[in-house]
Amino acid sequence: MHGNAMKRVNMSKESQMRAAINQKLIEMGERERLKELLRAKLIECGWKDQLKAHCKDVIREKGFEHVTVEDLVAEITPKGRALVPDSVKKELLQRIRAFLAQHSAL
Amino acid sequence: MKMEDMSLSGLDNTKLEALAHDIYADLVEDACLGLCFEVHRAVKQGYFFLDETDQDSMKDFEIVDQPGVDIFGQVYNQWKNKECVCPNCNRSIAASRFAPHLEKCLGMGRNSSRIANRRIASSNNMSKSESDQEDNDDINDNDWSYGSEKKAKKRKSDKNPNSPRRSKSLKHKNGEHSNSVSSDPYKYAYNSGISYETLGPEELRSLLTTQCGVMSEHTKKMCTRSSLPDVDGVVENDGYDVPDGQALMSRLQWDGSSDISPSDSASSKASTNNSDSKKPKKKKKPSLGLNSGTCGGPGSGSCAAVGAGTTGSGGGGSSQGSLGLPSRKKKPKLPAPPTPSIYDDMN
Repeated sequence: MHGNAMKRVNMSKESQMRAAINQKLIEMGERERLKELLRAKLIECGWKDQLKAHCKDVIREKGFEHVTVEDLVAEITPKGRALVPDSVKKELLQRIRAFLAQHSAL
Repeated sequence: MKMEDMSLSGLDNTKLEALAHDIYADLVEDACLGLCFEVHRAVKQGYFFLDETDQDSMKDFEIVDQPGVDIFGQVYNQWKNKECVCPNCNRSIAASRFAPHLEKCLGMGRNSSRIANRRIASSNNMSKSESDQEDNDDINDNDWSYGSEKKAKKRKSDKNPNSPRRSKSLKHKNGEHSNSVSSDPYKYAYNSGISYETLGPEELRSLLTTQCGVMSEHTKKMCTRSSLPDVDGVVENDGYDVPDGQALMSRLQWDGSSDISPSDSASSKASTNNSDSKKPKKKKKPSLGLNSGTCGGPGSGSCAAVGAGTTGSGGGGSSQGSLGLPSRKKKPKLPAPPTPSIYDDMN
């Protein structure tokens, strides 16, 4: 019982921490910067063009008159996640960790 | 340290790592969603497929990726080796050389006028008897013109025999008679109607008693200013008796080349040695720059030559003295040995 209670407490404390960190990320503008960085890198490596070509296939398949956002999201997002190059992923993670190391000590 | 520090804002390292991954995943999803919205809007607005046309046109403008050809399929230097016919001279010229050729051919453009001016200037130089050195300098000033033409011009101007500065080498531009002192080691040519070497001592004496006899550096002519009957006068040759005649001859032979510098000292010493009395009688002796003092008549400039040979005693001193300055420039070229020989002769 104690363990469960402790877990809950820890979890809430942990989630509190996470929420705090996320808030800090946004407030300091770091999240926006990270977002722009990622977007630029994805265009640079051709990820966006790849995915756009895939979109065309999906649209032709579904009939482009009736395609919905949900359709696209459902088709594109998993492929998009998989197509991100490793170098881009590593660089982004590095930056996030750096931020966390700097600002997690409240 | 990080692993142990559990109190790091309540999150240990693994949790931080998980947090980082979560943040990353959120960012990627944002990117994907952004793309979806963009595409969906493009489809609904109708501009998503605008960059595509019918299949035939697509094939026509496909990107070309062959060697030697650009992305449109065009060859880079296709016209480089073609030949064009010049409308002016009707010659077949290579395409890459066509524009410069036209420039020269039509006589337009910046270089053409310069080259033409050069040619005119150099042809003027060749035709003149005595040219100015400045013309050659102007020609040589155009450093940046076509190399071949510049070299051609330079060679021409280098060979120009009329420049007065060439007087150091054997030049016979005066053209009267061949030079007398070809064997002269000091490179001074003495051209005149009369060659001192060929004259006998008697002839020399008679010549020099009547005329000045100073050889001009520039014109290589002997100064023909008549000597005055005054013994104490300007004519220095009065003091020349037979023994001096011998000395004179030997000195003349040697002095084919000498410049005034030893003669300057010679003159001063000569005057002291031989005729002290003549010294005060010399007009304008101290004025070195005045050629007219002694040989002013036929051409003061002509007497500015080496007069060492003609002036034995102090009589020559003034003329030498006055002539000292112009020929002093040649001073460094003359080695010392001549100087003692004068004194030997005099003594």
